[in-house]
Amino acid sequence: MTNSTDNSPETSAEKNSKVNTNMSAKDNSARVSTTLSTTSSTTEMVALSLKKRHQKERRFKSVGLFSVFFGFMLVIVLIGDITSKALPAFHQYWVKLDINYNSNWLGVDENLTGLELTKQLKKANYRKVLKNSIYPVFTEEPGKKLARKEKRQLFKLFSTNAEFTIKDSLLSSPENLQQTVSIWVRLDDDVDSYLKEDFATGQAGLRISKKQAQWLAKLDSEQRIETRFNISFFTSSDSREPELAGIKGALMGTLLTMFVTILVSFPLGVAGALYLEEFAPKNKITDLIEININNLAAVPSIVFGLLGLAVIINVFGLPRSAPLVGGIVLTLMTLPTIIIASRAAIKAVPPSLREAATGLGASKMQVTFSHVLPQAMPGIITGAIISVAQALGETAPLLMIGMVAFIVDVPTSIVDSATVLPVQIFLWADSPERAFLAKTSAAILVLLTLLLIINLSATMLRSKFEKK
Amino acid sequence: MNKIEIKQDLSQIKLTETVGNIYADDAKMSIRHANVFYGKKQAIDNVSLDLAKNQVTALIGPSGCGKSTFLRCLNRMNDTIDMCRVTGQFMLDTQDIHAKSLDPVLLRARVGMVFQKPNPFPKSIYDNVAYGPRIHGLTNSKTELDEIVETSLQKAGLFNEVKDRLNDSGTGLSGGQQQRLCIARTIAVSPEVILMDEPASALDPIATAIIEELIDELKEKYTIAIVTHSMQQAARVSQHTAYFHMGKLVEMGKTEYIFTRPSHKLTENYITGRFG
Repeated sequence: MTNSTDNSPETSAEKNSKVNTNMSAKDNSARVSTTLSTTSSTTEMVALSLKKRHQKERRFKSVGLFSVFFGFMLVIVLIGDITSKALPAFHQYWVKLDINYNSNWLGVDENLTGLELTKQLKKANYRKVLKNSIYPVFTEEPGKKLARKEKRQLFKLFSTNAEFTIKDSLLSSPENLQQTVSIWVRLDDDVDSYLKEDFATGQAGLRISKKQAQWLAKLDSEQRIETRFNISFFTSSDSREPELAGIKGALMGTLLTMFVTILVSFPLGVAGALYLEEFAPKNKITDLIEININNLAAVPSIVFGLLGLAVIINVFGLPRSAPLVGGIVLTLMTLPTIIIASRAAIKAVPPSLREAATGLGASKMQVTFSHVLPQAMPGIITGAIISVAQALGETAPLLMIGMVAFIVDVPTSIVDSATVLPVQIFLWADSPERAFLAKTSAAILVLLTLLLIINLSATMLRSKFEKK
Repeated sequence: MNKIEIKQDLSQIKLTETVGNIYADDAKMSIRHANVFYGKKQAIDNVSLDLAKNQVTALIGPSGCGKSTFLRCLNRMNDTIDMCRVTGQFMLDTQDIHAKSLDPVLLRARVGMVFQKPNPFPKSIYDNVAYGPRIHGLTNSKTELDEIVETSLQKAGLFNEVKDRLNDSGTGLSGGQQQRLCIARTIAVSPEVILMDEPASALDPIATAIIEELIDELKEKYTIAIVTHSMQQAARVSQHTAYFHMGKLVEMGKTEYIFTRPSHKLTENYITGRFG
C-alpha cells in the first residue's frame, strides 16, 4: 500500500513535466504567447520571493548545522576530558622487593611440614618479614639503623596490600621458606600518583617527602619499579585504599538493580499502557489516572527514594542497601515514562490493523497481543530503554534506601548489600585521596560504556522487531 | 419464532420515507428501524432493508450519508467505538445480532468484512490467510490449514500469483493483490455474509475489474453487501441497490430499476450525476 501511494506523486510530477514540454513546443502560437505574457509577471514575482525563501532556508540550515555541531563538540569534549582524566586509573605502579622469608620473623617452626606448616603460615607475621626485608636495603651506611620516622616513611611507600601479596606468594609455594625471593607488590596510592605526575622532576611531591623521593629514585634506577595494567580495578570491589579500589562491586550492584528494574517495570508498564489504551473505558477516572501518570513522571526522584525507605524498607521490611529495593524504587521512577512511551507507541498502531483482526472475529485479547503489541514493540522498547538508561544514572533515590554504604563484598544476589556505579562515582568523587580522582573518571567511563551497550542492544532489538 | 413470522410482523410497520422495495424473497439479513447515534448526532435514521441471500446488495449515496456506518452495524464493528449507540432490529437468519447474549466474535466469524483500504497484517501471505482459521480453531492439522489457505487464495484469484512466495510479507504485494489477500483472509473463515466497504476505491481500474469479477463469483456462495461510490460498479456487480441520503434510506430496489427508472427525485439526481 505504501508503495503505491509513494509512487503516485512522482508519476503526477512526471505528467506535469511532460505537459510543460508540450507547451514549450507550441511557443510560437499566438494564444499561448498571450498566456505567457500574463504568467511572466507572476514568474518574476515568484523569482523575487524565491530568493528570500532560499535565504530563509539557508539560514535555517546553518542554524541547524551549528546546533548539531555544537552538541557533537560538547560530547567530544566531555568524552575527551573524562578519558584523559581516567587513563591514569587503568595502570598502576608495582615494585619488586627481595623478601626474605625468615622463619624467625614469620614466627613459624621451619621443621614442620604439610598441613601443620600451612596452618602456621596462614597466621604468620608477614608485616615483620616485609619490614625486615626492606629496611636494610635503604640503610645509608652499613651497620647504622634507620630512624623511626624514616622507617615509618619507608613502610608507607608500599600498599597495605603488600603483606598479603607476600603471604599469598609463600602460601602458594611454601618451599620458599628461609629463602630470599623477588616479589612484585603494589605501591601506595600517594606514591602511585607521585610517580604518574611529579616523579620526572625528581622533587618531592604531594604527600611525598624528599627522602621518599630519593628512595623511589633509587628503586627506579635499580629497575625495580614497573607499570602494569590495573586489572584489580575491574576485579575487586571498593576499598579505603585507592590502589586497591575497584568497580566490580558497583558494577554488579548496577547490573542486579537494573535486572530488577527491567523485570518489574517493563511488564507492568506495558500491561498498564495496553490496558489504558485498549481496554479501559474512556471516562473521567481514566482521565484522572492519565493526568496522575504524567505528573508522576515529573516527580523528583528523591521522593521515590523516601517512599522506598518509608514503605518498602520500614513497612515491608525488605533489606536495606539491597538491589531488590533499589530496583523497586527505580521501577517507581521509570514506570510513568514507560507507560507514557508505550501508550504513544500503541496509539501509533494503525487502527486499520485492529479493524482487520476484529473483522475476522479476533477477540480483544487476540487483537491486542498478536497485532497491536508486536507493532508497538519497537516504540515500547525505545521508551523502556530511555527510562532504564535514566535509572542507570540515578543516585538520589538510592541514597535514601542505603545503597550509599561502603560495601567491600561483591554482591551475588538481589538481597545482598550493594552499591551502584553512580553512587560509587559520587563516593569516590567525595574522597580526599588524590588517586580517587582518576578512579572517579574511570568509573564514569565504565558507566558510559554500559549505557552504550544498553543502547546498542536496544537498537538491535528494535530492528529485529521492525523486521517482523 | 421463525423467520417468516418475523417478516410478517415487521411488514406491518409503515416505512413512509423509503420508496421502492426493501424486501427480499429470500433474505439472509433483515434490518428493521436501525438508528445509529454518534454521541448526540444521528448517523442512521430509521433504516429498514433486507439483504437477499447469495446476491449482491449495493449501498450507494453521497459521502457522509451513513452507508459505511450502516454496513459496520451488520457485524457490530461499531461496538469498538465508545460513543456509538445502535438501536433497531438486526436479524441474521433467525439470530438477533445485537442481542446481548451473542458474542460479537461469533457474529464476525459468520459476517466477514473487507475494508476500503487494503489492510493485510504485516505478516506472511500464508499467515494472513491462516490467521482467521487459527484463532477460531477451525483446523486440527497443518495439512488442513494448508488446504484452507490454498482454496481461499484460489477463490480470491490470487493463488497463481503468490503460490511461490507464500512466506513473503503480505504488505509487499500491490494494492489490488493486497485487497484480494484481504478477501481471501475473510473467506478463509467461511463466513455466510461478506461486507465490503468500498473495496476497490483505492485500486486502479484493472485491479478494480478483477475485484468486481471476484465479487460476481463469490455471490454463488456468500451473501454480499457492498458500499461503493462508483455507480458503474454498483450497476455491474449488484442485484439490489439501496440509496442512502443524510442517514436515511431513500430508495431501494432491483439494481436495473434503480439505475433506469428511479422513483425518488433524490435518487435520480444522484445517479444522473446532478448531485453528490
